Amino acid sequence: METMMVAWMLDSLLGLGLLWLAWRCLACPNLFKAIVLFVAFGLLMALAWVRLEAPDVALAEAAIGAGLTGALLMVALAQLQSIETNGDAAGATEKEERGIRPLQWLLLIVLPLIATGLGYIILSFPPDAPGLSTAVATHLEASGVSNPVTAVLLNFRGYDTLLELIVLLLALLGVWSLGGTVPQQAATPAPLVLETLTRLLVPVLILTAAYLLWVGAHAPGGAFQAGSVLAAAGVLLLLIGRHPRAALMALPLRLILVLGPATFLVIAVVTMLIEDALLKLPPEHAGKLILLLETTAMLSIGATLAALFLGGRRHTDKEHS
Amino acid sequence: MQTLYLTLALFLLLTLGAGMWRVLRGPTAADRMLAAQLFGTTAVAVLLLLSQASGNAALRDVALVFALLAAVTAVAFVQRAWPEQEQPQETERDVD
Repeated sequence: METMMVAWMLDSLLGLGLLWLAWRCLACPNLFKAIVLFVAFGLLMALAWVRLEAPDVALAEAAIGAGLTGALLMVALAQLQSIETNGDAAGATEKEERGIRPLQWLLLIVLPLIATGLGYIILSFPPDAPGLSTAVATHLEASGVSNPVTAVLLNFRGYDTLLELIVLLLALLGVWSLGGTVPQQAATPAPLVLETLTRLLVPVLILTAAYLLWVGAHAPGGAFQAGSVLAAAGVLLLLIGRHPRAALMALPLRLILVLGPATFLVIAVVTMLIEDALLKLPPEHAGKLILLLETTAMLSIGATLAALFLGGRRHTDKEHS
Repeated sequence: MQTLYLTLALFLLLTLGAGMWRVLRGPTAADRMLAAQLFGTTAVAVLLLLSQASGNAALRDVALVFALLAAVTAVAFVQRAWPEQEQPQETERDVD
């Protein structure tokens, strides 16, 4: 009984905290403060997923929401500020602020409608619906892994993951097609503490990525979580000024970027020819095929996220100048 | 035992309120960033407690990922987003 009480208090504190943080984060005029609030929001969100007994989602939120996104937003803000000091952007923002008014009234009408609709849908759910979890549990044996989430993502609905990998690649192509980035302020050599930290942390990050990939077969983990941890290692190296050589940035990087989606596509075509169904993995080889798919996907995801962090194609700028 | 773990987790969550005050008041960006780092540490502790309370070992992996990636955000802040006028004088002399 007491346990229930405390759990209930914990959950309501988490829920209210999330709502409050989301509101503060959106309403905050100071962008840096908003980023810090966003990171805190990511932390609480991961805890909320844990309380909802979805450790897989919590792991992804921890790796992407609280980890990488914070660093990405921080660097974006730094670049934004260097643009603002170069060109005069103050006039433009003032105009935007005036133009928002009618839109706000529209939102005031539309958002409660959406909230009512969503509330109605949630309240009309049957209280104990098993959903598809029984179907997954009965076929788990044939999937080659014992973690139901990995079984769904890589086997039962493998094409979803294939499309997600392609979406990630398209995002990078979008960033690259925007052209060069703001030139970096002269790279100062990383202080000794930072250098040492990176030397210690990067191997640990790579090891953790490999662990998360392996453990994904029977517990929460998998290619996306492992890929983002791997990307964090890359981001750390980029942050202390260890840019890859231009030769590596050209063909080898591209090969790693398409490795995951390409392996997926090859397996999809082969299974189409042999089993007559897209990505229908034969049960006797499913375990090995999933490991292969996840390993290549992890490498591609890690490289894509790190490349997204690097932004536009800086190596071509160097070639021109 | 479960009640104790959950109560401790609740207490830690309440201490985040104190950190939140630092995030909102500042005054400098470094204060806010350090409060966010404190949040990360607290979240790791909460996750470990929840992992003990629910007997779910996977939550320790979440805590591990949190602990590792918090450093990346801090490095991004120090290297790119720390306003120069805020940096203490000594470090600048050290760099030279």
